[in-house]
Amino acid sequence: PHPSTGGGGIAPLTEQEEEEQPLQAVLVADSFNRRFFPISKDQPRALLPLGNVAMIDYTLEFLTSTGVQETFVFCCWMSNKIKDHLLKSKWCRPTSPNVVHIITSDLYRSLGDVLRDVDAKNLVRNDFILVYGDVVSNIDVSQALQEHRHRRKVDKNISVMTMVFKESSPGHKSRCEEDDVIVAMDSKSKRVLHYQKTQGLKKLQFPMNIFQHGSDEFEIRHDLLDCHISICSPQVAELFTDNFDYQTRNDFVRGILVNEEILGNQIHLYVTQDGYGARVSNLQMYDSVSSDMVRRWVYPLTPEANFTDQQGQGCTHSRHNVYRGAEVSLGHGSQMEENVLIGRDTSIGANCHISNSVIGNNCTIGDNVVLDRAHMWNNVHISSNVEIHQSVVCDGAVVKEAVHLNKQCVLAYNVVIGPNLSLPDGTVVSMHHPEEEEEDDDDEFLSDDQEVGHSKDKTRQKAFNPAEVGPEGKGYIWKASMNDTEDEELAQCLWGLVLNPDPESDSESEASEESQDRSRSVSPEIDDVNAFQLEVLGTLQRGLEENIVCDNLVLEINSLKYAYNITLKEVMQILTRVVLEYPFQQQGTQLTTLQYTGSLLPLLKTWSPVFKNYIKRAQDHLDCLSAVEELFLEQDTHQTAMVKVLMKMYQLEILEEEAILKWFSTGATNDKSRQLRKNQGKQRMSLQRKESEEDESSEEGE
Amino acid sequence: MPGADKEADLTERIEAFLADLKRGGCGTGPIRGSGETARETTALLRKVTAQARWSSAGDLMEIIRKEGRRMTAAQPSETTVGNMVLRVLKIIREEYARSRGSSEETDQQESLHKLLTSGGLSEENFRQHFVHLKANVIEAINELLTELDGTTDNIAMQALEHIHSNEVIMTVGRSRTVEAFLKDAARKRKFHVIVAECAPFCQGHEMATNLSKASIETTVIADAAIFAVMSRVNKVIIGTQTVLANGGLRAVNGTHTVALAARHHSTPLIVCAPMFKLSPQFPNEEDTFHKFVSPHEVLPFTEGEILSKVNVHCPVFDYVPPELITLFISNIGGNAPSYIYRLMSELYHPEDHDL
Repeated sequence: PHPSTGGGGIAPLTEQEEEEQPLQAVLVADSFNRRFFPISKDQPRALLPLGNVAMIDYTLEFLTSTGVQETFVFCCWMSNKIKDHLLKSKWCRPTSPNVVHIITSDLYRSLGDVLRDVDAKNLVRNDFILVYGDVVSNIDVSQALQEHRHRRKVDKNISVMTMVFKESSPGHKSRCEEDDVIVAMDSKSKRVLHYQKTQGLKKLQFPMNIFQHGSDEFEIRHDLLDCHISICSPQVAELFTDNFDYQTRNDFVRGILVNEEILGNQIHLYVTQDGYGARVSNLQMYDSVSSDMVRRWVYPLTPEANFTDQQGQGCTHSRHNVYRGAEVSLGHGSQMEENVLIGRDTSIGANCHISNSVIGNNCTIGDNVVLDRAHMWNNVHISSNVEIHQSVVCDGAVVKEAVHLNKQCVLAYNVVIGPNLSLPDGTVVSMHHPEEEEEDDDDEFLSDDQEVGHSKDKTRQKAFNPAEVGPEGKGYIWKASMNDTEDEELAQCLWGLVLNPDPESDSESEASEESQDRSRSVSPEIDDVNAFQLEVLGTLQRGLEENIVCDNLVLEINSLKYAYNITLKEVMQILTRVVLEYPFQQQGTQLTTLQYTGSLLPLLKTWSPVFKNYIKRAQDHLDCLSAVEELFLEQDTHQTAMVKVLMKMYQLEILEEEAILKWFSTGATNDKSRQLRKNQGKQRMSLQRKESEEDESSEEGE
Repeated sequence: MPGADKEADLTERIEAFLADLKRGGCGTGPIRGSGETARETTALLRKVTAQARWSSAGDLMEIIRKEGRRMTAAQPSETTVGNMVLRVLKIIREEYARSRGSSEETDQQESLHKLLTSGGLSEENFRQHFVHLKANVIEAINELLTELDGTTDNIAMQALEHIHSNEVIMTVGRSRTVEAFLKDAARKRKFHVIVAECAPFCQGHEMATNLSKASIETTVIADAAIFAVMSRVNKVIIGTQTVLANGGLRAVNGTHTVALAARHHSTPLIVCAPMFKLSPQFPNEEDTFHKFVSPHEVLPFTEGEILSKVNVHCPVFDYVPPELITLFISNIGGNAPSYIYRLMSELYHPEDHDL
């Protein structure tokens, strides 16, 4: 029997064990931003209807169909509503193949918090799928999962995350501009080497070092749509705990890539061509995902499939993608042209033209209404002669006669508009007064936890402006509050970047991003070394001024070493250099040799523990000596000081005798250094003699 | 309590089956063959019969009907499920009638008198309790399962009567039944098969690979070449997804083209269809008749900008009218399309047609 068969016998067993463990998922039912405000003030984003089904149901269906058996749903903003919804849904029935645990806390502020909680509560035992509650997808991730597991088995837990991307060329309407990324990856291993959000940048720079190691084939791709589905190993949660500054997945990915050499973790990519996956991250995406769904791109998650298994939700599908729920009545001469979904118990008047729209349950629509790319939720009343183009009308809104909604309008919950009014492009009307928002801002972070009840009375007092919402209207024009601008994500409006592409802010962010990149990426060796040298100098200075213990200095230099990605050899050389140049730094270059040695020698004494920490092996000694040599070659007026420096270093036991002798006898690489050595020669001989005498005397003394 | 346990287990099984049905058929049609679906449905119904609580045939029929409605609603295009539910209902009726001592056979004969006095054996007559009914019904369902297991073989056995040496046969897409049929004939005869690839799913490629593995001379052609090639073809043999009540077909996209070309060249069109594909449904423009899947195969999602400007549809099925069909070969022999109505009344009880 071969020894390998024994190993082979064990391997499948563990594999089997792994597979027997139920697949887990972490579903984050909060966006941690206010992109959907004011709509999400009344309803959490995960419960907003997309094709008359709450978005979280799509995500859960996706997870269940990929074979997830246990899902942890994390909610923060309006967690009670999400909880109620889930408890009523089919996911919480005892027969559900996917066991859903709901975990709520008001303390979550970001994805990072959620994952830290996952780690703290020890919820995941194995690889898990991480998604947001607004992801709509039918991608079969089992292939990606298999690849992920295989990678983890082959090289012991190095790969921590596999991100799922969908191929789609730039300009695709379902690509979210905010999520546009440039990814550099190794074509063979699918390892992510560089990951950057483009955010409208014209110029992108890649650090050279990513191409220097690894295989010889790279891909730099921009044709990827981020599905926001990631397969994570349990380490991901731990890493979030270790790095408390990670807030988003983006932070995490960048952090892992930057620290790849130190921590040894890698991130991989899975690119799929089949299937559909997108995250509803703003209303622009809402519009396109909704229309993709009606056009059956997400098959089998189609409206008529009624996958949520709710009574009365079923609808029929007929030509040109027209879906009708139960008890829909359509008036004389009305046309449903194409891609229309109408919920149950909705009645539509005569001579209406409806195309590319989704209409919820229990809506009433008057006569001569034109709807194009309208998204109407439940219980909406539309009077006659209304025109709506590419707009969202939320639950309970009333649109009176002859109102015209131009592109990208939003009527939030229970708003009344009209009659005889035309709302300009991009108008957002809400029952919440924008000012009430600002008041709440102080005690609120990114999103998601204030109680609006107390401000309601105040709202009532402020009168509705008939010029804005019409004579019988109820509601306020909503403007994104301006004090959020420090957070660039919040400054973006409900519809994403497409509407009002603010050229100034764009170019600004571009510039800042670029400069950031430049400092980070342009030939990092030189840049980093210089920066590191400066930092070491600063550290030593401070150490001197504040009398910091040498151990702490060592700690600081070590951390700098990681920060700037410096090798140990370089650290030593730079340290030597910095110390030897220190007198020049402090007192100018016009020092005489005597003054120089006078100020340097005490410094050497103070910092000798630092040196000793770095100079340990024989090679270190030689490196240090060559650094000393290099410096004195540059400062040729002070060459005579070199002996004294070496002498001191020897006395402080920084350098060993053999190393000095070895250096002296070898390694004269050019004329100048030979000259230097020659000059030192005599003095050195005497030095050596003195040294040996000293040694002897000290030995005698002992 | 073991009873409750059993029931929970049963509902779990049913839910899993429903979820499977709903998710089934991504793109290229059902992942499983319809034969397998038929077997699974029947096995599940047997489990329902064995484990659900019922005291009389009427109760049982009500339960089966209820579950059947859910199953057919889960995936309306998969008619096999509905067919199997009807078969089981028919079995229950027969067993009940046998227990009562009267023969169901007499009921079969339709006469004007019978039509006028119809509803003779209506629901309230199923209330009588029989001790052995459960065992008998399960026994009969087992017989049905055995029949289902043998269908493909039964059809394949008839291959030699229809395929002769040196014939050129055309088929379209991939059908497991047709594949078995052709392979069976290839044991004795040498003939040439032309496979239309059946875009956009191109199951024809798989079919051709499988046939050539069985050392049958095979050629794949594009769908556009069907008409051009038809003049050389001696026989067209196709499979189908459903045989409709009027003798028409609901078959994979492209079948209608083949059928029309065959009619133009007066080439016989033979349909290999097991009996469980026979559905009491009539062709209509009703919504469940068609099945539209993700347009991905027609125009990939990766295309980009154009997708927001065009509407892409990807229907899966064609309707083929009965007058284009020469012969049906089922597991009980060959039949003309005009005879389908007769088979229908033998297999299903008229009162069950609407679940």
